Amino acid sequence: MRSITKLSLVVAALGMTGTALQAQTNNAAITATASVATPINVVGAQQLSFGNVFPGVNKTVAATDVTNGGRFDVTGQTSTPVTLSFTLPATLSSGGNTMPIVSYTGVHALLATQAGGIAFSPAAGANPTLSGTGALFVWVGAQVQPATNQVAGVYTGSITMTVVY
Amino acid sequence: MKQGSWFAIGAMLLAVPLGAQGKPLTVTGVRGVTFGAVLPGVPRVVLRTDPANSGQFDIKGPKGNVLLSFVLPLTMTGPSGALMPLAFGSSDAGYSTTQAIGSQVGFDPKQPFTAAIPNNGRASVFIGATANAATNQRAGAYTATIILNVTVLP
Repeated sequence: MRSITKLSLVVAALGMTGTALQAQTNNAAITATASVATPINVVGAQQLSFGNVFPGVNKTVAATDVTNGGRFDVTGQTSTPVTLSFTLPATLSSGGNTMPIVSYTGVHALLATQAGGIAFSPAAGANPTLSGTGALFVWVGAQVQPATNQVAGVYTGSITMTVVY
Repeated sequence: MKQGSWFAIGAMLLAVPLGAQGKPLTVTGVRGVTFGAVLPGVPRVVLRTDPANSGQFDIKGPKGNVLLSFVLPLTMTGPSGALMPLAFGSSDAGYSTTQAIGSQVGFDPKQPFTAAIPNNGRASVFIGATANAATNQRAGAYTATIILNVTVLP
């Protein structure tokens, strides 16, 4: 009888041993957070317009010409630097005829009036900073060089501006 | 006398498990991973060694080996359910027996990692990540949950 009692004690101890050797596990969580800024939006707001040009007479539209210069309007995250890059055509086309377009110029400004604008070379690009309201205005000018025998017609080309943070 | 011997055996068997239990295992989330302002189209990397922005867990437990395993989110959730991919590199987690961010052993948070808790029973785990905002990523606040599971190994 006494032996049975003692055996019970040992079995109980072994039982507790088995329980205690079970692996301890615990965990905790943390949070990853981010605040995504406003995506960039670019609008071709105004065409670069040379109007009438005459054979053999070069014509220039300056980037500072707010009436005829090409203009892009940019919006994005306030007060954030951006990179401007351009795809610039070397010629304008009218059917199968072409006319050279050269000497691109650019101005970027925080206001649509071009006040405080900064000149730059579109071929080289620029790194301006968006305004406190997240705006930027970019003008592009260039020169067309019609040949003396340039065929009459409407000549067009596409200028593409890419903006990235 | 004979009865005393039996008692002694029982006490020894009890003493082993009670001693092995020692300190209870606790895991605490100390600091979240903070990406701050993220620009669309521009990956934002937070290094595990970044003292301000990396995530940190503190571990308290018995001296010995533990198995660390993460539950990692693939995306962060933002406004109107918008998702932003979240990536973890092969060395984006770090284990420190001194709990110092400058003294870590890097490991892959996507794989279970065996670490040793030192004599003082304290250690820390740090984690970094990369948020990959798309160029048209919806603006706003994004969050995700990172879980660290710790298991004491026998």
